Amino acid sequence: MVLMQALFFFLVLLWSPIVTYGASYYEGKTVTVVVGYKPGGGYDRYARLLARYLPKYIPGNPTVVIQNMPGANSIISANHLYSVAKPDGLTVGTFNNGLVIAQLTKVEGVRYDLTKFAWIGSVASDAAVLTVRTDLPYKSVEDLRKAKEPIIIGATGPGSSTYDFPTLLKEFAGLNFKLVPGYSSSSDIMLAVERKEVDGRGGSYASILPFIDRRLVQPLIRTRVQFPEIEKLPVDEDLATSAKGRAIMAVRSTPESIYRPYAAPPGTPDDRMKILRDAFARVTKDKELLAEAKKTKLPIDYVAAEEALKVLQEVLNQPQEMAQEITKYIKFGD
Amino acid sequence: MLDAFIQGLFVVLQWQTFLVMLLGIFLGFWVGLLPGLGGATTLALMLPFIYKMTPVEAFAFLLGMHAVVATTGDITSVLFGVPGEGTTAATILDGHAMAKKGEAGRALGAALMSSLVGALIGAFALALSIPIVRPLVLTFGAPELFMLAVVGIAFISSLSGQGGRALVRGILAGLLGLLFAMVGEDPQGGVQRFTFGQLYLWGGLDLVPVLVGLFAIPEIVDLAVRGTAIAGELPQEKLGRGVWEGVKDTFRHFWLTVRCSLIGTFIGIMPGLGGGVAQWISYGHAVQSARDQEERRGFGKGDVRGVLGPGAANNSKEGGALIPTIAFGVPGSSAMAILLGAFFLQGIMPGPDMLDKYLVLTFSMVWTLVVANIITVAASLFFLNQLAKLTLVRGSILIPLILLLAFIGSYTSNNHLGDLVVFLFFGFTGYLMIRCGWPRAPLVLGFVLGKIAENNFYISTIRYGPSWLMRPVVLVLILATVIVMIYPFIQLPRRRAPAEAATG
Amino acid sequence: MKATMNLRFFLALAATLVASYALYASMYWPFRTALFPRIIGVPLLILALVEMALSAFGTERQQEGHAVDFELTTSVDTAVARRRTRAIVAWTLGFLALILLIGFPLAVPLFVFLYLKVAGGEGWVLTLSLAALSWLFMKGLFDRLLHLPFPEGWIFSLWS
Repeated sequence: MVLMQALFFFLVLLWSPIVTYGASYYEGKTVTVVVGYKPGGGYDRYARLLARYLPKYIPGNPTVVIQNMPGANSIISANHLYSVAKPDGLTVGTFNNGLVIAQLTKVEGVRYDLTKFAWIGSVASDAAVLTVRTDLPYKSVEDLRKAKEPIIIGATGPGSSTYDFPTLLKEFAGLNFKLVPGYSSSSDIMLAVERKEVDGRGGSYASILPFIDRRLVQPLIRTRVQFPEIEKLPVDEDLATSAKGRAIMAVRSTPESIYRPYAAPPGTPDDRMKILRDAFARVTKDKELLAEAKKTKLPIDYVAAEEALKVLQEVLNQPQEMAQEITKYIKFGD
Repeated sequence: MLDAFIQGLFVVLQWQTFLVMLLGIFLGFWVGLLPGLGGATTLALMLPFIYKMTPVEAFAFLLGMHAVVATTGDITSVLFGVPGEGTTAATILDGHAMAKKGEAGRALGAALMSSLVGALIGAFALALSIPIVRPLVLTFGAPELFMLAVVGIAFISSLSGQGGRALVRGILAGLLGLLFAMVGEDPQGGVQRFTFGQLYLWGGLDLVPVLVGLFAIPEIVDLAVRGTAIAGELPQEKLGRGVWEGVKDTFRHFWLTVRCSLIGTFIGIMPGLGGGVAQWISYGHAVQSARDQEERRGFGKGDVRGVLGPGAANNSKEGGALIPTIAFGVPGSSAMAILLGAFFLQGIMPGPDMLDKYLVLTFSMVWTLVVANIITVAASLFFLNQLAKLTLVRGSILIPLILLLAFIGSYTSNNHLGDLVVFLFFGFTGYLMIRCGWPRAPLVLGFVLGKIAENNFYISTIRYGPSWLMRPVVLVLILATVIVMIYPFIQLPRRRAPAEAATG
Repeated sequence: MKATMNLRFFLALAATLVASYALYASMYWPFRTALFPRIIGVPLLILALVEMALSAFGTERQQEGHAVDFELTTSVDTAVARRRTRAIVAWTLGFLALILLIGFPLAVPLFVFLYLKVAGGEGWVLTLSLAALSWLFMKGLFDRLLHLPFPEGWIFSLWS
């Protein structure tokens, strides 16, 4: 009995520094989440949602605020997070998951190394889908292949999945697409679909979903990330007619599994990283957050840091020649 | 349909909804007033708060806030020559000029009243068009949008001023504006154009630092040079011609106000045209309404019509911009894009349902626009005359405050020091242009329309080949372009004749 | 009269240079990327040259050259005007320098204080209260409420 009490007491003694350290560090402080985009966009909305529920899960209950640092498709914020932000556990950043491809292809202006960030993980994954208008006679990939006229796909511009994904399908899966870039936003493309100005659109499954639900468009091809409703669709990599094509498609869609990444500046101390990683892992299971996320159509799907790093390595381990080939088809844009 | 229309009003007048709308109006008032606090950004910031509200309350709050922004933005433009919002810059040209002549109250009254008329017409159009909106928006594809941009660019001729020399400079300014619009990554080839290796420029130049620089800096320099208050050397009493005069002006030129409201509504309906355009085209149209050379020259120097036009348009376009947002789920402006997030947050999918299942909600939005604007204008009218007295304050006190607003206002565009560089560059450019008699309005017009023209041109050509030129609406717009371009010259001979008759 | 014309010449020259650069840069671009810049650049170059010539050699008739825009005050004596212009330009650039050196949140109240005291010669009460108000404005609205990221001033990054 006395032994049990002693053991218990001893354990409490061991445990308390961790608890009090954690509680005392973040107490009364502010955690800043730097978002690489302007308010209102997808990354910003995720961050603001998380910011409201995170304090519960960080001992000390700090305030969590959002700072917007837009520019160059979040490269500016990534650079900032890499070399300017202090690695004190009080700053975290979220940026475009495609930045790893920018790093691979040595885009001018990239001054970060994603592998050196202190990673937290990603709160959502996404897939890219290729959709066409439901009133068209194309109901499967075979129909697309048999099409006599080119299929008009609307896009915003290079660097966006609306452009890159169909481009790769055209180049390497032999699909007869005619790409029409220049739309100012992906919702403008949807309007063009309604107008029958374009036949379809490629891009993020999460953002096209409302229009799929509305039966305006239907998805025909998807990328490797799985979602129950689109499971049965053919994967783009399987449609590739060459190994090179398959490899390039794979590189493009690999970052989609860490679609909404969160990381801290390199050198952030491990104990604080542990607190942050725990907080993110637990907040993404919070019932209220999940309910709100569902209502606002923000899918949540947590991926931990180790997994995220593996994904990054998969992309960055591509040989130089592959990187150069990729730049021909995927230009990193704004 | 009619009962939904009436239901919409009652729903807005319920006290919870009404209170929440008042809160939105209060917030929007300050957002519009302060340069740099953008309507769109604030909408995004407010999104989390509407989670707990019912749909009607949520939209009463957001729209109440948003509806007011364009109105109060005019106040800053008139009083200080700094655009309160990106959409209220055109009001500076004549509004601030009037303030300098001691007519700030009048300018404010005109801006506010025309804003109200514009908002009402916009809301009215929204209500009326609900049955016909889908075919209307669907008719305007990329070729039509390109032609609309061209028509807009054609207004440069009206905004240039009298005489061949002025026209040369006007076109120069317009071409420069178009060129500045080309900065950034081009969507056709992914090539960085004119970015000089700067990450900041990848997305192109942002409207707000350009406008704030172009308009605020020359006014600040002028204020410093004059060494007086904004209203010059006028004694206290002369600051009469107050607000009521401005209100009456709105009705004196009623049809102009209405026409400009319609222009604004129409441009708001067209997704992709963006908010910066409506005010300048209405301004151009207001200039066209001048009856002779003498009157023409008065523009830019304090003609109240130069306030009425943009004042009406930048409010009416909000009603217009709601239309594609509600009917298609495609935002008509950047603020609307954020409003869409609100729809999703409330679990509503904008689209055909809005005109069917959620018709009462849709009409409640119309009424919110109406009621919010009426409240704002009514409330503001009471202290506008006091606000106008700010133009009597010593310049040396106002200058650091205006400069501060201008710097911060530009910075909030991208939260980047590059914003300040752009701001100062265009400030310098604006100043030079004023010194050398180059009109600034064409530059702004070219700048806001450049990308729209280019992108839609390529979409049209790639999609349709050359056949898009033969589409009926396109042909009509080509004709419109020609008319707009030569309009100032048609007026000339008629005016020269009497002048020659007088001298000859 | 002569001074203004030289300035007009200079501005037209600047436009010429901008147009030439645009046309030059477009030579390296693919056709679609280069098309619009060229369509804009060629008339820009031509008209800018025309304006240069007119500014250098022509005189201006009184009713021409009035843009639909405001005109700078002519009621102040030229020497005074020039002096004041230089002063305000210096202050504006000084504000930028201040922002770069000590960061936005500190630069604002300092600038307001300096301008009101030095350029405006205002009293202490007014100066200090307006400086304090502007500091509150910066902190309250842009820092606390909106959390705008303000880069640290250069002085502070050197220090740390």
